[in-house]
Amino acid sequence: MEKQNKIKVLYLDDEPNNLICFMASFRFDYTIFIAPNAEKAIEFLQAHPDVSVVLADQRMPGKTGVDFFEEIRELYPSPVRMLITAFSDIEAVIDAVNKGSIFRYIKKPWSDDEIKSAIDEAHKYYISTTMLAAKNVELQAAYEELGKFAYSVAHDLRGPLLSVLGALEIARDINSVDEMREILGMMELSLTKLDDFVQSIHEYYTLKKGLVSSDKIDFATLIHDMTNLYASGSKTNNIRFDLSVSQDGEFTTDLISLKIILSNLITNAVKYQKKNETDKYVAVTVIANSFRAEIEVADNGIGIREEYIDRIFDIFYRATSEQTGSGFGLYNVKDALRKISGDIVVQSQIGVGSKFKVTIPNMNNGRN
Amino acid sequence: MEEIKKMDFIVVDDSKLDCFIAEKIIKNTGNCRTVKSFLQASEALNYIRESNEFEPASTIILVDIQMPVMNGFDFIEEFEKFNSDLTDKLNLFIISSSINENDINKAFEYPRVIQFINKPLTSSNLKSLLQNLENKDAN
Repeated sequence: MEKQNKIKVLYLDDEPNNLICFMASFRFDYTIFIAPNAEKAIEFLQAHPDVSVVLADQRMPGKTGVDFFEEIRELYPSPVRMLITAFSDIEAVIDAVNKGSIFRYIKKPWSDDEIKSAIDEAHKYYISTTMLAAKNVELQAAYEELGKFAYSVAHDLRGPLLSVLGALEIARDINSVDEMREILGMMELSLTKLDDFVQSIHEYYTLKKGLVSSDKIDFATLIHDMTNLYASGSKTNNIRFDLSVSQDGEFTTDLISLKIILSNLITNAVKYQKKNETDKYVAVTVIANSFRAEIEVADNGIGIREEYIDRIFDIFYRATSEQTGSGFGLYNVKDALRKISGDIVVQSQIGVGSKFKVTIPNMNNGRN
Repeated sequence: MEEIKKMDFIVVDDSKLDCFIAEKIIKNTGNCRTVKSFLQASEALNYIRESNEFEPASTIILVDIQMPVMNGFDFIEEFEKFNSDLTDKLNLFIISSSINENDINKAFEYPRVIQFINKPLTSSNLKSLLQNLENKDAN
């Protein structure tokens, strides 16, 4: 364990005595790699990408230390480079420092303390620059997502509003009550879609920032409550709910994430039904034990085309124009699963139905 | 008073309400002979491909951009692959709620797109659309 946390240092010198001496002095403080020539040094860099400090002697046959640094700078930019040199090479050193190819130089003959403080400082510099690079990558990704997000949000918030505005405009000239009712029905649908969307954004941010809490889950009550929400709607659509819950012992996971997963899967199962199916059903099965919960949400709805299955968890992706979808739901499911280390498998056949199988580990992990 | 030319309209939009609004507004103009709406772009393409009743310069297509599965741009790309004997007869307009510059600029990269109209469709912007078309034909 401790060994892994040691700073990794590579030292290149053509003098075997120097290498042995260096190794002897610092092997307890650092993980040391010694190389008698540039080729060997590059091999080490390749094999150990986490080397943070590279020291090289300036005067070597064939290639100088500065030449070596120039060479590795492109391919291995992250390790911090330090040159060990005699005073007479000072011109070369100044040049190398100015060109930015070395972090600092160490005068020969060196003292142990000098080397140690140089390596420690170089490592600090290494950590801050690599962290900065990693943060930059993260930031870039977040920025791109924000752009995509803003675009979709602008459209998905504006779309339903403009529809309702347009409907109000034409409603002025309508005298028939039946026709008016039809328009009101469609306006309601538009606004429901808008509300769903706003709720999904809320879920999205809850998932992005929120911490994972450990809540005790009573699956029977949870599934019952969640499907009850749809009972009134499903009666009118004639959807049969088949529920089967078997829970053995205590189950712990993050309740908010679990609710997001279940509500999205159940909503989808209810939403994407075949219009003229006489026996519409949604089947929810839960088997929970001390290790994990296996949850299955199945329906005999419209199904998903095979070529779209890989993309249904992508943000803003919609695989069908049937019904209103935000392109958010399954993305949030995936995000919630990531948070509680769960997994999901999809089986679907167009025109036959879909089955989503979710596996969630019990945070109690076998302790019961 | 000049004689008003009757047009055939095709609306492509995944929102039922928007199709309904468009149909209403179109029917109220007095310039409309027929209007057909499609919730899926692919169905509209099939209809255009299979129908051979189009009269020269008397059909107007209004297509939304943001639609699932096949969006408005995909639709236009397929549309532009059609034989020009067919597409010459059809006038293509985009109708969208998008305020995104990229969308608007992209819309004009397609030679067949005549105009970008903002949602919701109103009788006044439909009138200007028809006016636009008349000027275009006159030139």
